[in-house]
Amino acid sequence: MSASTAVVSVRDMVKTFGATRAVRGVTLEIPRGSIFGLVGENGAGKSTLAKLMAGIESPDSGVLTISGREQSLRDPHEGIKAGVSMMAQEIMLVPDATVEQNVLLGSMPRRGPFPNRKEMRRRYAELVEFTEFDLDFKAKVGSLRVADQQKVEIMRALSQDADMIIMDEPSAALTTDEVERLHHSIREIARRGSTVLLISHFLEEVLALTDHVAIMRDGDLVRVGPTSGETVDSLVASMVGRALDTDYHEPKPQADGPVRLSVSHLTRAGILDDVSFDIRQGEILGLAGLIGSGRSEIARCIFGADSFDSGEIHIDGELVRPSSPHEAIAQGMFMVPESRKEQGLVLGSSISDNLLLATHKKRSLGGWVSKRTQWAAAEKLAQSVDLRFNSVKQAVGSLSGGNQQKILFGRAAEVNPRLLIVDEPTRGVDIAAKRAIHETLEEMAASGMAVLFISSELEEVLGVCSRVLVIHRGRVQAEFKAPYDEEKVISAFFGQSGLPHD
Amino acid sequence: MIERIRNYGIVGVFGLLFVVLAFTSPSFLSLQNGANILDQSSVLLILAATTTVCIIAGIFDLSIAAVATASAIMTVNAINAVGLVGGVILGVLFGALLGLITGVAITKTNVNSFIGTLAASFTYRGLGLILAAGGLVTIENEQSAQTLRDVMEGKYLGLKGAVWIAIGFVILVGVVLAYTVWGKKVYAVGGNWQAARLAGIRSNRVLISCYVLSGIGAGVAGVIYAGRYGTGATNAYPDSYAFTAIAATVVGGVSIFGGSGAVWRGTLGILTFALIGNGLNLLGVDTTYQQTILGLLIFAAVAADQVFRRKSA
Repeated sequence: MSASTAVVSVRDMVKTFGATRAVRGVTLEIPRGSIFGLVGENGAGKSTLAKLMAGIESPDSGVLTISGREQSLRDPHEGIKAGVSMMAQEIMLVPDATVEQNVLLGSMPRRGPFPNRKEMRRRYAELVEFTEFDLDFKAKVGSLRVADQQKVEIMRALSQDADMIIMDEPSAALTTDEVERLHHSIREIARRGSTVLLISHFLEEVLALTDHVAIMRDGDLVRVGPTSGETVDSLVASMVGRALDTDYHEPKPQADGPVRLSVSHLTRAGILDDVSFDIRQGEILGLAGLIGSGRSEIARCIFGADSFDSGEIHIDGELVRPSSPHEAIAQGMFMVPESRKEQGLVLGSSISDNLLLATHKKRSLGGWVSKRTQWAAAEKLAQSVDLRFNSVKQAVGSLSGGNQQKILFGRAAEVNPRLLIVDEPTRGVDIAAKRAIHETLEEMAASGMAVLFISSELEEVLGVCSRVLVIHRGRVQAEFKAPYDEEKVISAFFGQSGLPHD
Repeated sequence: MIERIRNYGIVGVFGLLFVVLAFTSPSFLSLQNGANILDQSSVLLILAATTTVCIIAGIFDLSIAAVATASAIMTVNAINAVGLVGGVILGVLFGALLGLITGVAITKTNVNSFIGTLAASFTYRGLGLILAAGGLVTIENEQSAQTLRDVMEGKYLGLKGAVWIAIGFVILVGVVLAYTVWGKKVYAVGGNWQAARLAGIRSNRVLISCYVLSGIGAGVAGVIYAGRYGTGATNAYPDSYAFTAIAATVVGGVSIFGGSGAVWRGTLGILTFALIGNGLNLLGVDTTYQQTILGLLIFAAVAADQVFRRKSA
């Protein structure tokens, strides 16, 4: 491919963070007008490479060419000016500004020194027409759900009229039909002659959308080529460097132990409506449904993190009503929360302190802790959850997403609750780590723990759980047991009822 | 390497300052000068220790100088009412009580600690004024006053009693923070309040305990004042004490964002300030310039921290 047909090309790109070589001499050309996939496990260097193209990071060495001109970008603003804009994996919005202001942030139409409101409205309307995203443009972004915030990010990237738009995991937080609309927009962008660089863990999505795909592993480019010759298995084999079975284990037979958790008529005004279900000892019960359907809220109410108006919770037949997570833990529960960075980990603290966060007291001698004893305990725990680490004294912020998630499971194993709630335990986690997390969960259930498993990824819920409840608008819409009819499950997501499956 | 500089840069600065002063000023290295430096810093060493704990927990306590002042007055009043030992105990407990009130009020209402303790500071200063009936209270029993003065001002192994109290207090707080479950909780709450709560830590209780500790430190400072001067005055500790304690903590390398740091850093920060002041005095630099130099140093420390943070991110 000659330089003139490439919108962006990099040659011998190198980027190092401390001791980690995130990108090790990558050479790659992205053809103009293509939808270009970039895949790899977490920590493979995809996001870093993309950030180098957008000017968010500066390379240690290497050449970046955008539309035929060599560039040394110092910041994202220069990247946008050169024609590359990036939609980041972490949401980067101004929470107190409106949807419209956020979308047009950085490309605000002006009249003299003042924003040109009429022009803003017109450009915003154009973007809405293009994306078919339906948002209240006057709403404060901070008050939106994550999925809606992500839409704002997408619209912002589109508003910058870029030659190439980089999307880093754009569909991770979206519901199925929002994903459809996103895919439609991506195709539309390419049809209009712009280029999309798509970084995604959803390999089906990459296969369906892209025309070229590049695979990275440990900071190196493994290979690049047309997508047409690829399958999920061929991509995974290159990503992990070995063939890995992408199918899930056969689900376990239905649990028949005594009922461990019994939730009846759980109600919270406007959020949860008369939710009732049981979980048996050794059972992994799945909660599926759209984002915002109330899955996480059910978990938070049971765990005492949020309050509820009415309803009863029994654990092993005993009535409990935890008013705080502290009480819930005392009553035999534990939760691995939805967002590991905001709710799960103390990022600046060590692996050891994070693993033992809930159990420092148990490990202490009358309130005094011995660092040596703690490190030894943490080391054992870390190994039990297959954590990849150098030292238990290292800060968890330096670990990959998958390994960070394993720490939360190590913490849960240490608490050893009767009921474990896991909310999105594998979001943004690579395949190998995901497999390790599923195995840990199955071991925990096999030991008699009851597990409430929440995930937005349907295949995962169906693969891990022997029984699944679909939540819709704060209600239990339907219950399914393995083997599943996937279509029926999905239609329950959208409120289709009358499916008396079992 | 960058990480090292960020973590231990202040130790280097302190060491450099020490060596330079030792060479340029013949009187610097004398035991007498060292004892003077510690004596002048004793109250600030106490306040910086509790301030460090608060900042690690993610809160600021701007009310400590006001609490210390009110405690000094309370100590004198209590000594006059119930005698020396009871008075001293009540003086410290009064500081703890004010800290408890601040902590409960702030955590229950979710007010930002910076603003909440600023408001508390005004309130407690007013309270001091009321307790002192508008001016100055004096320990009436001459013997009690003398005994307490001897404890604070008398020399033991070359150092004044107040200095020993400060050293003991700082070590105690440092050890408790580093080696107890409570200390672990302080770091966790400061590092991620939400995560700590979901891991079963009663985050607000931990924060309240930090305000109480802060109050105890201020209470001890109040007792020291009462001992030294035999009085409790409404201007015993101006608010600059609170600001200096925070500044020293930051200069010592404690992250202003919470979740990391150690008590020795606040201590080193105060000693660095003292060394600069002392050194400038010995070198004959006009005291007029000292504040400016100190201010620039504080800014440089915070700026350096930011630069290193960005590089290691």
